[in-house]
Amino acid sequence: MDLDYSTAELAFRAEVRDWLGGHAPPPLPPMDTADGFAAHRAWEAELAGARLSVVSWPEEYGGRGASLIDWLIFEEEYWAAGCPARVTQNGIFLLGPSLLRHGTPEQREHWLPRMARGDDVWAQAWSEPEAGSDLAALTSRAEPCEGGWRLYGHKTWSSRAAFATHGFGLFRTSGARHRGLTYFMFPMTDVAVRPIAQLDGLPGFAELRFDGVFTPESMVLGEVGQGWRIAMATTSSERGLTLRSPGRFLATADRLVELAGDADPVLADRAARCRVEAEAYQLHTFGTARRIMAGEEIGSAASLGKIFWSELDLRMHALALELLGDRAEDWLDGFLFSLAGPIYAGTNEIQRSIVAERVLGLPR
Amino acid sequence: MNFGFSEDQLALAATVRDVLRTHCPPGSLRTERRPAWEQLAALGFFGLLLPEETDGLGLGLVDVLPALEETGRACLPGPVVETAVVAPGLLAEVPKLAAGAVCVGVLPPGQAYAADADLADLLVVVRDGRARVVPRQDVRLAPRRGVDPCRPLFEVAFSRSEPLAGPVAPVLARATVATAAQLVGVARELLAVTVGYARVRTQFGAPIGSFQAVKHQLADVAVAVEFAAPLVYRAALTVDAGSAERDASAAKAAAGEAATLAARVALQVHGAIGYTEELDLRFWLARAWSLSAAYGTTAAHRERLRTAITGRRP
Repeated sequence: MDLDYSTAELAFRAEVRDWLGGHAPPPLPPMDTADGFAAHRAWEAELAGARLSVVSWPEEYGGRGASLIDWLIFEEEYWAAGCPARVTQNGIFLLGPSLLRHGTPEQREHWLPRMARGDDVWAQAWSEPEAGSDLAALTSRAEPCEGGWRLYGHKTWSSRAAFATHGFGLFRTSGARHRGLTYFMFPMTDVAVRPIAQLDGLPGFAELRFDGVFTPESMVLGEVGQGWRIAMATTSSERGLTLRSPGRFLATADRLVELAGDADPVLADRAARCRVEAEAYQLHTFGTARRIMAGEEIGSAASLGKIFWSELDLRMHALALELLGDRAEDWLDGFLFSLAGPIYAGTNEIQRSIVAERVLGLPR
Repeated sequence: MNFGFSEDQLALAATVRDVLRTHCPPGSLRTERRPAWEQLAALGFFGLLLPEETDGLGLGLVDVLPALEETGRACLPGPVVETAVVAPGLLAEVPKLAAGAVCVGVLPPGQAYAADADLADLLVVVRDGRARVVPRQDVRLAPRRGVDPCRPLFEVAFSRSEPLAGPVAPVLARATVATAAQLVGVARELLAVTVGYARVRTQFGAPIGSFQAVKHQLADVAVAVEFAAPLVYRAALTVDAGSAERDASAAKAAAGEAATLAARVALQVHGAIGYTEELDLRFWLARAWSLSAAYGTTAAHRERLRTAITGRRP
């Protein structure tokens, strides 16, 4: 066991730090506004120009074929440099890994480089009004037609959909609860989109209505009826490594510790604890990366991490508001976003039940 | 970067686990003062950290960490950390240490009582940053009522003592990390036993483990243990580096909190039967509490972390 970086890893860190030092953007307008969306896309295109937008993807799709450890290094540097959240995150962290694993060669060659450059920005369309955490209960359906499929139904709480160019999600292709679901990608062109403002007043969500929206055969991901399996692999990576790398929490903890410098000992104690917990998450992730690199599946154990990082993030932002007092506005956006952590990617109540039943072996 | 235990390190833990299963079953905690010590000594356990010149194996702390976790899992009585971890750092020249023939006790700085001092052939006393060693015949012990029946505490008085050379802080940091590893083991065992009980105990016509209120408490324990353990592993790796004390404090505080949460939930899920002397659970509850206070309380380590991380003095 060691915590030593190789010469190559250290060189990569130095390269990333140098490049970000010269290119990290000033604070951009929020991504859930038309201006902000455009500015974020431009930033990510610049990142892609340096082949830094998806470092762990194969070179042919715009990445560097970097190891998970390199990716974690990249993330640490990215967040430490104060760079913004990724407008392409649904694509690169959720759809991308599924395309890499289950997509046809044509799908991968066409969509992945475009995703890496931010040419297409993908909205995720999992939830429905009656199927949030109980995703297998969804009722939106797809019917086969000449050359592809027609999508019908109603999706909601769809992140990024107000401005996105494409979407992906599950649609019912037969009656079976889990086996009746198929994974579709679709252009947003003919989808009726009603933006939904989030707590910050900006349209981070949207409601989507499908009234026979056509999507070609070439945009079905994996086999018909296999959507649940593919989506679950995606959500497992969403809860685990890919969506919430430790770099983000380490950077937040560092800012928090700075805030707490002159605070009373009780608040300073809590800040120090947050820093240590961010380190615990970082170290745990190194262990997880090692296991994944050795070919292990993480599966339900990813739920442990999801509970931990989401509650840590919320605790850090709540403490920041306490420390800031009447200057709390500075951290308010982050606080609002941290409130979403225990809800999205499967609520923490669901995660605790997954841990209890599938990790600890308690009865259903 | 390779943050995981090697096969050798895990194999050592598996061997220790087998020995403890056979020679330190829960029943022995009621009848024996020092179960499994002979068998562990025969295995070379007390020489693992000693240099080869003194018949040891010259291993590092990280090599024995999973094995130390097993001693926590088994609730092994006796001054394990003192004899296997502190003694190699301070008393390596003492003959027959590697053979496990000498039992060592420690009175750490800032603590009023020495645990297991009744078993100690040699007692190490640390005061004002310096260590002294006292042989058994020069020690007078007054027992103090403690929570852990297998880890009795003693007030110590002594007439003669010998000063020990060498810095004592690194040795105490190792003992702190080793104790944290034991706490992780205690927490894992408390969780496993409680999950087992929740699967078979029925109320209202169903196993209590099927109730969400019980499930979620146990899931929280699993999270606490899962994220305390890597801090302990890191501390074992950095125990000789500049950040040793800070990392040891992070390990001890997190492991102590995970173990006390595991104890709290174990007691709640077991209900009244858990609140009795009859159930073996009481030994692990007591160990979680007694080790949480050993080599610095959680509060003391939290204060050290606050100073180290925020730069703010107490």
